[in-house]
Amino acid sequence: MNPEDARYHKEHTWVKVSGRKGTIGITDYAQDSLGDIVYVDLPEVDAQVEADSEISEIESTKATSSVISPVSGKIIKVNEDLAETPEIINEDPYGKGWIAVLELDNPSDAEDLMDATEYTKYIEDESK
Amino acid sequence: MKIVIIGSGPGGYVAAIRSAQLGAEVTVVEDTEVGGGCLNRGCIPTKALLASSEIYSKAKDIGQFGIELRGELVPNIANIVERKDKIVATQVKGIRSLFKSWGVVLKEGRAVLSSPSVVEVSLRDGAVEKIAADRIIISTGSRPAVIPSLPFDGETVISSTDALFVSKIPQSLLIVGAGVIGCEFACLFGGLGSDVTMVEMMDRAVSGEDAEVSELLERELKKKKIKLHTGVSVTRTEKTGDGIRAFLSDGREIAAEKILVSIGRALNSDNLGLEALGIKTGNKGQIIVNRRMETNIPGIYAIGDVTGEMLLAHVASKQGIVAAGNIMGAPDEMDYHVVPAAVFTSPEIGSVGLRERQAVERGMKIRIGRFQFRALGKAHAVGEIAGFVKIISDEMTGQILGAHIIGPHASDLIHEIAVAMKAGLTAADIAETIHAHPTLSEGIMEAAADVDGAAIHVQKKQN
Repeated sequence: MNPEDARYHKEHTWVKVSGRKGTIGITDYAQDSLGDIVYVDLPEVDAQVEADSEISEIESTKATSSVISPVSGKIIKVNEDLAETPEIINEDPYGKGWIAVLELDNPSDAEDLMDATEYTKYIEDESK
Repeated sequence: MKIVIIGSGPGGYVAAIRSAQLGAEVTVVEDTEVGGGCLNRGCIPTKALLASSEIYSKAKDIGQFGIELRGELVPNIANIVERKDKIVATQVKGIRSLFKSWGVVLKEGRAVLSSPSVVEVSLRDGAVEKIAADRIIISTGSRPAVIPSLPFDGETVISSTDALFVSKIPQSLLIVGAGVIGCEFACLFGGLGSDVTMVEMMDRAVSGEDAEVSELLERELKKKKIKLHTGVSVTRTEKTGDGIRAFLSDGREIAAEKILVSIGRALNSDNLGLEALGIKTGNKGQIIVNRRMETNIPGIYAIGDVTGEMLLAHVASKQGIVAAGNIMGAPDEMDYHVVPAAVFTSPEIGSVGLRERQAVERGMKIRIGRFQFRALGKAHAVGEIAGFVKIISDEMTGQILGAHIIGPHASDLIHEIAVAMKAGLTAADIAETIHAHPTLSEGIMEAAADVDGAAIHVQKKQN
């Protein structure tokens, strides 16, 4: 369910690291809790983002919530498709629904985050 | 009692009718058109144009309501402007006929105060008439402020007034000043298809509003692809073949077909003969008045924008009623404690009382209740879910200190809270009042309940 090649933040975001680059998005659990996503406030390319801080805001028909970056780095790419079709996050949160690609300050930081097994357990505990 | 009123905007015409009701012999002098800036160049024409823009935007999105559109929607600016002109003309006629029914005499021309008891009017036909007055009320209003380096030419560099009479929807529009007027025009022309960019010196749009309201409006503007650059100013401009190029203080360059300058209002206190009579004005040219709307010269009153108090039509009207009462022996004072205000952006903004920051700056202990419209069934049913209600109350007494609404019908919804504030009610009083379902007003009840953490349609907060 939650892919093995991603690392997870307790605020329900994920990062997939490849070299110095990290792609981030929100988890399946997050999209499911939010419900139908109607708008994603995309971050700006070149902006510097700190881990544990807000990188974007997502509006669903139920709520508006912050997307917390799991890692620190400079944004080098954002998913422009989300501007017109934010619902792809609901459909494919770990694939087409990615939010941004960062050039990571320190790629090894991701190792401090939860792996898929830990995160799966974490959301089971949270939903109890 | 003979009263001469200079200016027939929402201050002057209301003062005229109230004075006449109280038995005065009233003459109103108007140098442009009855109804003043509000009716001819402000409140009403912008709302008429906005209605066209909004219905066009909604129609483009009609599919979400299950309606199929077969064919093309085309905003015809000539027809849109004509509709607006017709609405304005009807309202103007309405005021003229109110004047007639109350026996208010209208002199069309330019007035100068030649003494505390004589107003000299240069009539349109060139004649000059001296009108004797026991009391004078100055209600000359305001006009769009000019940036000296970027004067209006009515073509490429336009004011909010020029923008009401465009013959073509500009392909691109740069708006200098993202205050109330700038943001309304951004929504208006953005909705009609212009590519709109706004430039604002302050750090946020509608900086007079509560910060959370600005934040939400900025996001909604972004959704409409209206660009906003805050914390910057235009350093210089250059005319180009098909428009104008603006150079911003952050090094950015923006090319646009037209520039609309909406940096504020300049007060119409010049050329009235105020200096000769020793009528005190302030540093912005505002006529200084007390709460009875009297200037420092006995018998001379001033109301509306020209007093620089709060540049709002409804404040001018109330000041007019207060001035008329004081002149006619029904003493009254202005109270600016509860003044609702509306911004007709999309979504709308309604506010009353203190902003959160003002309350904090005054060292008040406050509690805040918030409620998102998207948690209401009605908001979903009408297809307008963006926005919220925020209520600020006094921690000790529970009394409401201010409220801020951004969302559908915010300009109408705010008045429930204005009445509550005027009556000194608490957030609990509103929360405990049954509100009809399904309505947007439920959002006010819920926000009031949220002051005590008791809103129903809010998820339980996780620890």
